[in-house]
Amino acid sequence: MPHQLGVTIRAQVAADQVGPLRNWLAKVAQNGAADSLFAFGHMRGLHFAKLFVLEEPTDSGGRPIPASLVLMTEVDAPLRSHLAELIDVGGDGIDEAFGFCAGYPGPVAQRRARVAWLRRHLVRASAVYVNTVGRGLEQIRQEARLRDALEDYLDQRDWDGRAPDDVRRELQAYVAGRADLAWAMKPPAPPSLRFRVREAAHEVGVPLLLVPLLPALPFVLPPWVVLLRLSELRERPVTQRPTLEHLDELASYEDFVTQNPFAVVGFVRPGLLRLVTMRVVMAATDYGVRHVYNHADLAGIKTIHFARWVPLDNWRRMTFASNYDGAVEAYNDDFIDQVWWGLNATFGNAAAYPPTRWVFCGGARYEQQFKNTLRIQQVPVPVWYTAYPALSAVNIENNARIRAGLRGEMNPADAGQWLSRL
Amino acid sequence: MAVRLDLNDIQGLFARGYREHRYARFTIFTIGEAPAGRALLEWLLPRITTAAPFSGDVALQVAFSASGLRQLGLPDHVVTGFAAEFRQGMTNPNRSRFLGDTEESDPRGWAWGGPDGPPADGLLMLYAADPGLLERWQAELRQQLGKRGIAGTTELPARELGDTEPFGFHDGISQPIIAGLPKAAQAERTVPAGEFILGYPNARGQLAGRPLLPASEDPSRLLLPDPTGSGAVDFGRNGTYLVFRQLEQDVEGFWQFVDAATRRADGSQDSGDRAALAAKMVGRWPSGAPLVKAPDHDAPALADDNDFAYRDDPRGLACPIGAHIRRANPRDSLGPEPAASLAASDRHRLLRRARSYGPAGDGIRSAGSENGLYLICLAADLARQFEFVQHTWLNNATFNGLYDDADPLTGQHHPAGATFTVPARPVRHRYRGLPQFVRTRGGAYFFLPGVSAVRYLAQLGR
Repeated sequence: MPHQLGVTIRAQVAADQVGPLRNWLAKVAQNGAADSLFAFGHMRGLHFAKLFVLEEPTDSGGRPIPASLVLMTEVDAPLRSHLAELIDVGGDGIDEAFGFCAGYPGPVAQRRARVAWLRRHLVRASAVYVNTVGRGLEQIRQEARLRDALEDYLDQRDWDGRAPDDVRRELQAYVAGRADLAWAMKPPAPPSLRFRVREAAHEVGVPLLLVPLLPALPFVLPPWVVLLRLSELRERPVTQRPTLEHLDELASYEDFVTQNPFAVVGFVRPGLLRLVTMRVVMAATDYGVRHVYNHADLAGIKTIHFARWVPLDNWRRMTFASNYDGAVEAYNDDFIDQVWWGLNATFGNAAAYPPTRWVFCGGARYEQQFKNTLRIQQVPVPVWYTAYPALSAVNIENNARIRAGLRGEMNPADAGQWLSRL
Repeated sequence: MAVRLDLNDIQGLFARGYREHRYARFTIFTIGEAPAGRALLEWLLPRITTAAPFSGDVALQVAFSASGLRQLGLPDHVVTGFAAEFRQGMTNPNRSRFLGDTEESDPRGWAWGGPDGPPADGLLMLYAADPGLLERWQAELRQQLGKRGIAGTTELPARELGDTEPFGFHDGISQPIIAGLPKAAQAERTVPAGEFILGYPNARGQLAGRPLLPASEDPSRLLLPDPTGSGAVDFGRNGTYLVFRQLEQDVEGFWQFVDAATRRADGSQDSGDRAALAAKMVGRWPSGAPLVKAPDHDAPALADDNDFAYRDDPRGLACPIGAHIRRANPRDSLGPEPAASLAASDRHRLLRRARSYGPAGDGIRSAGSENGLYLICLAADLARQFEFVQHTWLNNATFNGLYDDADPLTGQHHPAGATFTVPARPVRHRYRGLPQFVRTRGGAYFFLPGVSAVRYLAQLGR
């Protein structure tokens, strides 16, 4: 099975095209035309896609940042074939969308030129969270079909009074006997050897590289913390609230299926101190999501399929984007209750975030301020695609465990536990 | 820190459900002209029942929607201080999708409160100890509204308060116990008053968003000061949001479904199976006994039992994960840590003040009549409390690991019918094709102000 990528393509919108682009996106969203235009459903290994505009803001120095169009996809590796498919399969939509951007070669240009243009506009994420690393789209779909087949089979018979291991054996025989399900008796293939070696090297190598720096820590950390605390003391509470128009626009793209798209963008607080802090925290986040939170759980939150942190404009701004289950209110509550420390460490360095204390405290714990600022900074996502609109992340994990439970021996108690997944 | 509640300013519905006042009628009205509305408030002011100790035979409460507050002349910069959900209203199209008010529950088909009808500006709630008293007071209300030219009224008569809701189940058992009210003294677990009333610390020890205004706009000092000491005055203090929804219950359809689902292959039926499936859907037996304590048979001795948890039933073998009460208040059953789950559940509580309507029945509805529930609940945070429960717990098909199981009783079921899963050994029982049993017939978000805020409204424009 392939590993998953968080691909970000960002291009500056041509000077006079921001309004027309916005209108075009709204129209495409309204008519439900995006599906056929971009043919996301025909792209191999594509889990999610979102397309949105980042408006033209002015940074703290008064410098305007031009509006840009952002395409984010969560897709099975390799990148090369995904970029090619964006043109070969979704070319109609991609041409039209990026046709609003400066310098896009356009449909008349050769395929290679357009793919190369997309590649040139790739933006590197500083961290990408994948709910379960290595679980590809094909596997998710297969295991959902497996679960459906088992549930239907269970419905057809009366099982009362049967021993759980006996029931399990019958289900095993049923799956093994169906040519279209027999794959389920084997475990899913792991990601490529190359990927696994790279990740293992990263997991071990990064701490090793940091060890020589440890002696410097007592000298660097205290003044750093003091400086940060002084900086925090200058922070002001968030008093702004999102406008009803903005809330309505966001809501118009939310709560149609099990998952929702999420994208926020904000400025990094000015100054070297905040920039360095942000970069250090992001490096830690990258390590954490790759080697600690890489299976079904992001620090206790089980509803996120994918998430990414992408620095923009040479770290003047930071984007956080995700695909999550349920409503934004529940998502924010999960943030506040479970990963407040992580949010504060990261977004405490972002302007318009509720004041933090000692890096980890305060911030997201100010519920109203936090919810208001997230909604204000949230960007409407008019074009959004999900490959499995009815499946929660918990469902997907459960399906994988149903499959895993088909293999090997189990005592009656374990078989009973396994059956309770159905 | 002990919180002192200003019971003389808070309306009585916060402190009690008026269970001794078995007769109730609710009147929705539209405020045409501001002076007429304010004149009505002048008349109402001495008659509003507060949360202070009360032994009268009649109780009266008044609440306003955002349109009502604007109509009475509350300036925009004050109205803006209210929650976005309240200002947008229950029938905002995105909200309707969110709440499941689509298809048969679409506000365009509502009996009142819909986008095409007269705006639901205000709500009068009348409770009386006997039916004659109710009628006399309602006649008085009608006259007071009429003589001020206040039109667009809809009277919603409640059924005499009994022990069961229209499907036939004992209802209203589980209520949060509010810190600062008398009952809290004996309670093991209480919920901070700020979860249900504005101006007091909530479960996170913070004050919910509330409408403040400069003291200069309240020269007569009618409003209370902002408790944070900002120098502003607080229009919201001692007030709270009131969710009002008229939910029609298809009693016949519900029991028909249960009958069909429990009929044996030979066509015979066991009334025990019937009651058992219905109980699995609710999570309590008709008497009210909770399934986690009485998994196999009804146990009327446990009728009002609310002292239970789900930690001994993690798989839902006694009370299904998808049962109505296990999702309306999951208690300790969200995630692996019971204590964390209890704390999380407590941030999504509602103070429920529902009343049933329609002819009292034995579960069979008479032809042409409508049965249902006026869902009335109080919450300081509409998004985190009412809307969260409705969307994330009740209507969510993937709630707590489920796949296609919206609330079997009240949930919005897709046209092909929802699924209800009853965990069992060795294999679960799965019921499919559940039709919609409950549909929304009307509703609005109101604000139940403190008495001082009503007084402030009454003198606006002077």
